[in-house]
Amino acid sequence: MSNEQQAGPTVHTIETELGRFPAPVMDGYKEARVLMQGRLREQELVNWAAQGLAIAGKTVRSWEAAAEFFKSSPAVQRQLSGGQFMRWSTVGADLCQESPSLAVAYFKASPGSLLRLRPRQIDEWAGLGRSLYRGTWKSSTLACRFYELTPNLLETLSFTEMTRFGQFLEVLSLRSYDLASQCLVEGCGLFPRLGTEREAFIGVAHAVAERSWRDVRAFFDGATALGTIDSDQRSRLLVLARRMVASGDVSAGDFVKHGSAAVRGVPVEYSGRLLEMAEAIHAVAPVAVTDFLKHAPTVLGRISFTQFEAWHTEGMGILKEGPEAGLSYFRGVSGRALEVLDTLASGVELSRIKDVVRVYCRALAGEDIELSSTQQLVEKKIGWTDSDIATTEGTTIFLPPVVDRFPSKDDNFAWYKVVSTHQVGHIEFGSFLFRYERPSTMFEDLRPLLLKSKAKDAEVAEPKAQPPRAVRAASPKTVAKSSAGKEPVAEAAAAPAAPVTDMTRFFDLFDDRTLSHDVFTVAEACRLDATVMFEYRGIVNSYRKVQARALQERPTIEELPMREAMVEFIIRLSLNQQADLKVPRDFMPTARKIARLIRRIADPVATVEDVSEATIRIYALLTDVPNNKVPEDEFEDFDPEEEEEEQQEQPEDQEFYLNSMSGEGEGDESQDSEGQEGEEQEEYESPQDVSYRGEFKPELAQLLSQLRLDQDMLDGAEPADITEEQLQELLEKSSEIEQQEGEGEQQQATEEMLKNLLKEMAKREPKDQDSGQGKFIHVDEEGGPLEATEENSFVYDEWDFRANEYKPRWCLVREKEMAEGDNTFYQDTLTNYASLVRDIHRQFELVVPEVYRKIKRLEDGEDHELDLVIEAMVDRRSGNTPSEKLYWKRNKIERDIAVAFLLDMSASTAEAIDESGRDNDDWGAPDDPVEYMVWLRSRRAEGLRRSYKRIVDIEKESIVLLVNALEMLGDTYGIYGFSGYGRENVEFYVIKDLKERYSGAIPRRIDRIAPLHATRMGPAIRHAGQRLMESEAKSKILFMISDGRPQDRGYSREGVEKEYAVHDTKVALTEAKRNGITPFCLTVDKAGHDYLKTMMQDMSYEVLSDIRLLPKRLPHLYKRLTT
Amino acid sequence: MAQVQATSYREYRIEEYVVAREPFYVPQSDEIEIFTAAYKQRIPVLLKGPTGVGKTRFVEYMAWRLGQSMGGKGSKANGAKPGIPLVTVACHEDLTASDLVGRYLLDTDGTRWLDGPLTRAVKAGGICYLDEVVEARKDTTVIVHPLTDHRRVLTIDKLGQIIEADPGFLMVISYNPGYQTALKDLKHSTRQRFVALEFSFPRPEVETKIIVHEAGVDEDTAEQLAKLGEKVRNLGDYGLGEGASTRVLIYAGRLMNEGVPARRACQVAVTWGITDDAQLQRSVDEVVTSIFA
Repeated sequence: MSNEQQAGPTVHTIETELGRFPAPVMDGYKEARVLMQGRLREQELVNWAAQGLAIAGKTVRSWEAAAEFFKSSPAVQRQLSGGQFMRWSTVGADLCQESPSLAVAYFKASPGSLLRLRPRQIDEWAGLGRSLYRGTWKSSTLACRFYELTPNLLETLSFTEMTRFGQFLEVLSLRSYDLASQCLVEGCGLFPRLGTEREAFIGVAHAVAERSWRDVRAFFDGATALGTIDSDQRSRLLVLARRMVASGDVSAGDFVKHGSAAVRGVPVEYSGRLLEMAEAIHAVAPVAVTDFLKHAPTVLGRISFTQFEAWHTEGMGILKEGPEAGLSYFRGVSGRALEVLDTLASGVELSRIKDVVRVYCRALAGEDIELSSTQQLVEKKIGWTDSDIATTEGTTIFLPPVVDRFPSKDDNFAWYKVVSTHQVGHIEFGSFLFRYERPSTMFEDLRPLLLKSKAKDAEVAEPKAQPPRAVRAASPKTVAKSSAGKEPVAEAAAAPAAPVTDMTRFFDLFDDRTLSHDVFTVAEACRLDATVMFEYRGIVNSYRKVQARALQERPTIEELPMREAMVEFIIRLSLNQQADLKVPRDFMPTARKIARLIRRIADPVATVEDVSEATIRIYALLTDVPNNKVPEDEFEDFDPEEEEEEQQEQPEDQEFYLNSMSGEGEGDESQDSEGQEGEEQEEYESPQDVSYRGEFKPELAQLLSQLRLDQDMLDGAEPADITEEQLQELLEKSSEIEQQEGEGEQQQATEEMLKNLLKEMAKREPKDQDSGQGKFIHVDEEGGPLEATEENSFVYDEWDFRANEYKPRWCLVREKEMAEGDNTFYQDTLTNYASLVRDIHRQFELVVPEVYRKIKRLEDGEDHELDLVIEAMVDRRSGNTPSEKLYWKRNKIERDIAVAFLLDMSASTAEAIDESGRDNDDWGAPDDPVEYMVWLRSRRAEGLRRSYKRIVDIEKESIVLLVNALEMLGDTYGIYGFSGYGRENVEFYVIKDLKERYSGAIPRRIDRIAPLHATRMGPAIRHAGQRLMESEAKSKILFMISDGRPQDRGYSREGVEKEYAVHDTKVALTEAKRNGITPFCLTVDKAGHDYLKTMMQDMSYEVLSDIRLLPKRLPHLYKRLTT
Repeated sequence: MAQVQATSYREYRIEEYVVAREPFYVPQSDEIEIFTAAYKQRIPVLLKGPTGVGKTRFVEYMAWRLGQSMGGKGSKANGAKPGIPLVTVACHEDLTASDLVGRYLLDTDGTRWLDGPLTRAVKAGGICYLDEVVEARKDTTVIVHPLTDHRRVLTIDKLGQIIEADPGFLMVISYNPGYQTALKDLKHSTRQRFVALEFSFPRPEVETKIIVHEAGVDEDTAEQLAKLGEKVRNLGDYGLGEGASTRVLIYAGRLMNEGVPARRACQVAVTWGITDDAQLQRSVDEVVTSIFA
């Protein structure tokens, strides 16, 4: 009945009504009506139109919804039954009641969504969207977005899954609509990649949203990585993630990200095990799981998976003992972790064995040899380019940072040893001491003859065009070089401007520098190997092993063009290859000659000059070998033949060598290279380096050592007669420098290298005191151990009181000599405090005389003690056994004191003393290095305008008075200042070293004491302690003068706990005490009592109530401390 | 009385101990000639050099050699024995003047004076060798000085005596400049009473010879031991102070003679002997394993 009534309005009235709305409504209606005409009965159509009208009429903007309703109706209608269709429109209408734009989105998304929705889910779906809407603009955007994206979501998600997702969004939207819409959008992209773990993922997301919604962002970011791993692992990872979230305090994002990365990093068969390990850790300490996964790839880079399990087990043990220690274990920053890793890993890291090897090298060479990672040499940019290959430049041996060539650690270490022995050999057996003029011991010297003919050549044959020698023309590079190199040679002949080094002079003899250099390198290496194996028999086995290994890495001879093949032949010969040595058949006689030469110099008595002579000969032999490829069957096994008869070199041989060197040996060419005419010759390329021999650059090394030598002799004056031009010439000519593509680049590279070389030459101690303004190397606090690479830098461990263990090699202390100012400050202080000076002197005079103490009752001594003798006689007379202890002896109490004063030069000492009541606790410096510089500068500027006394001034005055008094006592003392910024920049200024005698420079250095940066006390104390340990005094005292608590960037955990710094300082002091040093701390920080109690514990300290008392108090304290 | 023959040891009175058999000594340079000349002129001798280079051996050798050349006439103390008595005192930081000169001992009825080693040497006309003299207390200089200049007298204030030294008496001291601290430097006034002979580690060839003789190893092993010595000494300024002395090399050689494997022998005799620093030990061990197979 009611239906009848409602059916009242006719199509006509409805249409008229609709016409009152903006045009799109009517347009939509009409279009849809045409489409639906046949499918619906009339009444249904009327109802439909009426529904549309109702929607349009709901609110002001709902006409848009109506238009959209009409527009999508035909498509929707096709998918639904009549009733369902009505339901659909009613739901839409209800939505429109809430918000027209919601309805718009609903209608718009319907055709797409309904393809995947069951009709009965329409209500629920609409409800999901509606639940996101909370009447605000942002929520409506979110809800619309949801409808809009439903078709996309449904492509991968089931309806239940989508419902869950919607619920998640709802929870999240309570916190942030923006985040929710972001997740919505990202979800669309993400879900297809997650496979069947979508639901699990949504579950975790939901949990994250409930627990720590901010983390959702990171979780979604990290989840991208989830797509890259196997489904099984993914699901386990997500299960774990769920548990992690449940246990709180963990970033699910990080976990998912690192977890996926770790899983991806291991072979599939192990990934399950990896997750089991993570689960095991989770059971004990959920916080450590992420760190474990994050660090796992690095660890796995060094050890096998089986070893990794052991590493994990060890960590679990530690974790169970204490979560903090376990945490840093799994982070890889704890000493234990590194140690365990090191024991497990087969690879050997240079940094771990550096000290041992360095001392070893020094022992062998008898010189101050430094050891460094090859990385550093490459970074110097002075001509070395390959960081994987060992080398030396005369004083420093460069070794690759890690070696993992052999399965066992011992073998890898042996590799290091062999390499360093070989490199030391360059120094020990004089590779760089080559002198052009020095005669060889085994050969007829060709060098003097060659020089003559070369000079003649340059003069006479200059206009003559270079004969078109096939061999020479082989390399375009060579041609370019020889034409360019022609002038210098001519010049050298004309003007006596000799080449910079003897090595250069030698290589100047050859037209093909590269070839000569290669030959020389092999020959010299061969001599060294022979010498080393003769001198050091214990290393022979390792040496052979390394050689055999090197042989395995060699390229196949037969595949090389002939000349290169011959060079390769020499290399293999030098590596002691016995069998299967191939040489081109045509050049068997040449090979025999070469082999004979090599055998001669492979002798411990050979000298580098012998090698040079052999080089000339081999080079001459090689120039006759064309550099083209020949078929494999042209090669045959090398047959040394009747080699045993030690052939004397024939004069005609020498002639041949000389001729081919001076480019007149073409005669033989036609025979040797017959049949090769017209064939393409290949450019000669240097052979691949033999890994253990490394890059050998005699020219550069000789240059560098020459430069150093000159400098030593001239002590800082301009380096002797080596001009920049000469250097440049050397660099351009030298075949040791990698040729780069493009002329311009080459030019640039050379220039840069030249600059760097000159810098290297002029390397002096960094004198600049105000290096506080210099650049800081910023090392992340999260980073790993540091390494002392520069001169005068030292690394120290730092105590992490939370983890209850040391962070190994955590701080880098740079020791610098304090710059000198003038001594007016010193003089003024002495004048201003004249009466105090007198007073101190009087006090100290009393200390001076040596104190003797008489010790009685000794069995032996200087003389009888009368009383005791009487007693003894009495005893004897009365029949008792007399005591034997009848002597006395004087015991001298010697003043044998070494004291190190450690001055706090932190920025806070810039404070005026009158306002020192200010709270010193807040250093207030920004953490960001850039901001810090700005802050520092303004602070400095403040300091410059001062007319008042600063804390540091008082410190300085006290030191002046003390120095003055100490000179009287004759105690050994050192004065050091420290400051720094961050763990990699602890600056340690030497004002007076313990070993240094007092001189006029000391007052001048005191003058330059100035406030700098922060106060990282621990490393400074450790370093000063080291200094004291070098002294042999009986009592050693570490006297620290400070103005506040230790603090520095990263000298705390999470930047808030001041405890960290205090504890590290305490441990540093305890270390000192354990080493027999008496620490004493004097502070002017009135608030000092609270932390000093912890820091100094059972050690003595004093808090000065008034800084102005310092000059008076300091000498007094010193006296008390030392008598 | 002079010599109590027991089963396997001999007992001498301090001043009667004479180096009877020729000690093995390979001269480093002209030290034998210099010492001989100095002895003839009775100029005291100061031996400088690190431990284990053969300073003590040199003194023994010279005592024997000078005794030989004098055919026993040099010692007229009791004319019984040929040769020059050698009195060696290893100085330590608690060594006082009375330890050298002598002291009263308590006897049944009162006290009895007992001459110290220096007094005995002065009386017997022997060579008194004060090893590491700077270690001793400063008061020893009081007695060393008058004995080492033209006076050649020993004052014993407790007895109120002055003893003129026997013509055969000579004081020889040794001193190790590298090892002592600046505080314990020899005073100039003391130093300038002596002619100084510097000893350094023997050259590898010489050292090889010494090791061959002393350890009884073959030349080849000795050479390698000498090489080890040389290499380890390269670490002198690296915390090893003085490096391996010839003595420890000889010990290593002797152990090898007894069948101890070379590497192990070097480890116990050299590496562990010269340093306690674990890392340094490792480095030295690496040198050892490089040299010995």
